[in-house]
This record gives sequence, C-alpha cells and structure tokens, in this order.
Amino acid sequence: MGLPLPWPFERDYMQLALVVGLVIGTCAPLVGAFLVQKQMALMGEGIGHLAFAGVAAGLLLSISPLWTALGVAVVGALLVEWLRGRGKASGDLALALFFYGGIAAGAVFASRAAAEGISVNVMPYLFGSILTVSPEDVWVVAAIGTLIVACTLVAGRALLSVVLDDGAARVAGIPVDGLNALLAILTAVTIVAATRIVGVLLIAALMVLPVASSRLIARSFRTTIVGAAGIGALSTVIGLAAARMWGLAPGGAIVLVATGIFAIVAGITGTTRAGFSLPSHH
Amino acid sequence: MTAVLTADAVSFSYGREPAIDSVSLSIEPGEFVALVGPNGSGKTTLLRVLLGLVRPQRGTVTVLGEDPRELRDRGRVGYVPQRHRLDPELPVTVAELVATGRLARRGWWRRFNTEDHEAIDHAIDAVALSGVRKRPVAELSGGQQQRVMIARALASNPDLLVLDEPVAGVDAESQRLVRDSLGHIVRELAAAVLLVSHELGAVADDLDRVIVLKRSVLFDGPPDELAARGVSLGIHASDLPLWLEDLG
Repeated sequence: MGLPLPWPFERDYMQLALVVGLVIGTCAPLVGAFLVQKQMALMGEGIGHLAFAGVAAGLLLSISPLWTALGVAVVGALLVEWLRGRGKASGDLALALFFYGGIAAGAVFASRAAAEGISVNVMPYLFGSILTVSPEDVWVVAAIGTLIVACTLVAGRALLSVVLDDGAARVAGIPVDGLNALLAILTAVTIVAATRIVGVLLIAALMVLPVASSRLIARSFRTTIVGAAGIGALSTVIGLAAARMWGLAPGGAIVLVATGIFAIVAGITGTTRAGFSLPSHH
Repeated sequence: MTAVLTADAVSFSYGREPAIDSVSLSIEPGEFVALVGPNGSGKTTLLRVLLGLVRPQRGTVTVLGEDPRELRDRGRVGYVPQRHRLDPELPVTVAELVATGRLARRGWWRRFNTEDHEAIDHAIDAVALSGVRKRPVAELSGGQQQRVMIARALASNPDLLVLDEPVAGVDAESQRLVRDSLGHIVRELAAAVLLVSHELGAVADDLDRVIVLKRSVLFDGPPDELAARGVSLGIHASDLPLWLEDLG
C-alpha cells in the first residue's frame, strides 16, 4: 500500500493486515452487540465451526473455499435461527448441533480431499492468516464492513427492539422474523470475512469480548456499540504490533489482547458481572 | 362513534379445552376499560387474539375497523406486556428504550425526525420520567421500569393502549404513579385504554367500565354496577380479588 506508517506497520503486508484487521475489529462487535443482548453470544462460535465444513467442502470440490464457507455459513445461520425461533430447539442446543456437525463434516471433507491427493492446509482457515491478505481481500472485506455498518445504521434501532422484547415488537408491526434472519446472515458474513484475520475458531471472541468489555463501562446501548467497535479496533492494532514484535500468531495475539482489555476494564470497574455472565446467556 | 376495538362471538381453544368461548366486547374511543378474571380465565388468550398475535377459531375481531392481523398503521395500537424482566446488565437508556416504541409509527427503517423526538420526549414526560431519561433502565426501580414500558407504548401516539398486568408486583407509590399516567393518557391524549389487572384499586376512580371474564364475559358495565353486586374496587380493594377467587 506504501503508506508512510511507522514500525511495525511500515511494510506493505503489515499495512494490508492493519486495514483488514481494523475493518473486522470494528465491525465484528457491531454484530456481536445484538447477539450478546439476544443471549446468543456463542452463535459466532457455532457458525464458525460450520464455516469450517464449508472451507473443507471447497477444498474437496476445488471451489474457492471462502465462497463455499459463505454459502454454508449463511444457510446454517438461517437454520439455527429457524430452529430457535420455532421453539424446536433452545438457542444453545441449536448451536451445539451445528458446533459438532460442522467440525465433524469439516474433518471428513478435509480427509477425503487429502485422500484424493488434493493439497489440504486448513490451518489458515482455523487460526487465520492475516499477514498473507492481498489487495483484493482488502476490497472484499471493506465491502462487507460497509454492509455491516449500513445495516447497523438502518436497522440498529429495530434490531434493539427485537432483542429487547420480540412480542412487543411483533405487535408494533416490526418484521421480527426478517430482522432475526438479517442478524443471522450478518453473523455468517462477518465470520467468513474474519476467517483470514483470526480464523473460524477465534472469530466469536472478536464478536463478543469487546462487547463484554464495553458493557462494563457504557451507560447506553449506543455507547456500548461505539465502545465495543473501538475496543475491537484497538485489540487489532495492539495484537498485530505484538505479533510482529515477538513473532506470534496474529489471530491469537489479537484475541489475547481483547481478553486482556476485558480483564483490565473489569479490574478497574471492580466488577465482572457483564462479562462473566455471558457464557450462561448463550 | 366507531369503536376502536370489537370482538364478536370470539372463541379459541388449546386442544379440546376452550380458553375463551363466544366472547363479545367493544371499546369506544377515549374509554378506560378494565378486563379482570381469575387465573386461567382466558385473559391472556383473549389479549393475544385482540392484538392479532393468534387467529380466533370462531368469531371476528376488529381493531380500528380492521382485522388486527392486517392492521396497516400498527402505531395506532400500543401494547405493554406483562411485567417484562429486563436484563439487569442491559446498557440501554430510558430514551433509547422508549424510542423503539416510535418505530411502529415512523417505520423501522426510517431515520427519526423532529416530530419523532418530540413524541418520545412527550411519552417520557407523560409517565413522569423526564428526570431519568438518560439513565440506564436497569438502574431504575421495578415501578419506574414499568412506566418506561408504558412510555414505549405511548411513543407511537396510539389510539388504543393495551396493558397486561402493568402494576403486578410494584410498590404502592409506583402503582399511584402508573395510575396518574393512565389518567393522563385518557384525559390528555384521548386514547382508549384496555387494562388487564388483578389490582384495580389504584385506578378504580378513573374506570369507565369493568369486564369480568371467565372463558366468556360474566359482567360488562360501569364500576357502580359491580359495586351494587357488593364488589367494591376502590375503598375495599380486596373485594374484587375475593370475588374473582369465588368465581374461580
């Protein structure tokens, strides 16, 4: 990109990583804020596992793995929402079905591809490979980021209405099922976009941890979202810098920084109520 | 004057057991009506049918002259659900929550204009919460939170406000403030109010009619007529629950 940035972002590959990381670091918590409020904090995790099955299917069929991951993740997210919305399975049970089914299908597809002599390297998809993003990747991620921001601006208040009280929202004529489907699709798209950054196994952390930190200090939903986006971006910058400085895996470093920020915020505010109650919410 | 709400011989069953059977009622503009009945009398089912959340198996319902399931302007009906347990960690302010009620009038995808912001402020004023409009809802008392829910329903300037047990479990002072808010809504906003509640003592003086339900309508008339049957809503507020218990 050739931007005059200081170390550790002076190299082109670090600048590409920074741009992509900032977009995902900022946008993932925008979607995560609604998932957390909907008590579906681990939805990203379940859909991430499903996306892995899509990646492996792409490798097996010699189709771009990101496109197959996107297709499988969107269909899976809509199915989870359908199961949950019709009371056919509780939120966590619906997620568990996809958690295990997705990772198992991914393992089977990947082993089948290897048996057919196809070069299979799933590690970049599982844990991210942000330092290898191309300028084309930047455009794709920027387009997805724009979509997420636009949807949040247009439908944010309606989504808040649905996650607060879907019964009252239905009486008010708000398209509850449509907005739940929109949130599911945004979740799937965010996960696939973030696959290159932190990998499908860690993306849920980037959607949820900044929100957990922001909830500890925010006094409104608006400041929760803005704060979470800021914390997500900050985690990305510090994580990338730490990865360059000490030769760490960038995806893991970013998520560890987000975890550290939560610990610091919880320590300063003297409370862990929002963050530590998250697992019981999914 | 056209009724804002009518039900004509409405029935609904869960399996073989009828929850409501041939219920007929009507509410006129600006009327303040209470719907009471013992537990299991079908109040919640009737409310769901009246709001268009479920289709009656027999009979017809109209809200503002239309089938409630196909109501074009949803903002004309405000609904306060049974005391909604808010997430204690919810970082949403009073103004943010009340603003979600305005979506019914404005359209969920449209940006709010000055008129919308004024309607939201007015709704918060109507329930006497303007001093806490920027406070997180989770920090308010149960009674204050219930008034926030009423303000959310008011934000769309409804012609009909339906409240399901709005004062259940809140303290006496909050009950009084909810009563004042409902009185204000009827007098100043001229909205019809349908209140489902076991505790009518706080609003007894303001009611135009009481409807007693036990699968079908057992009584529909002014509180005075109910008093003539030995059931006092105001001074002897415990009369009604005792009478309802006898019915159950």
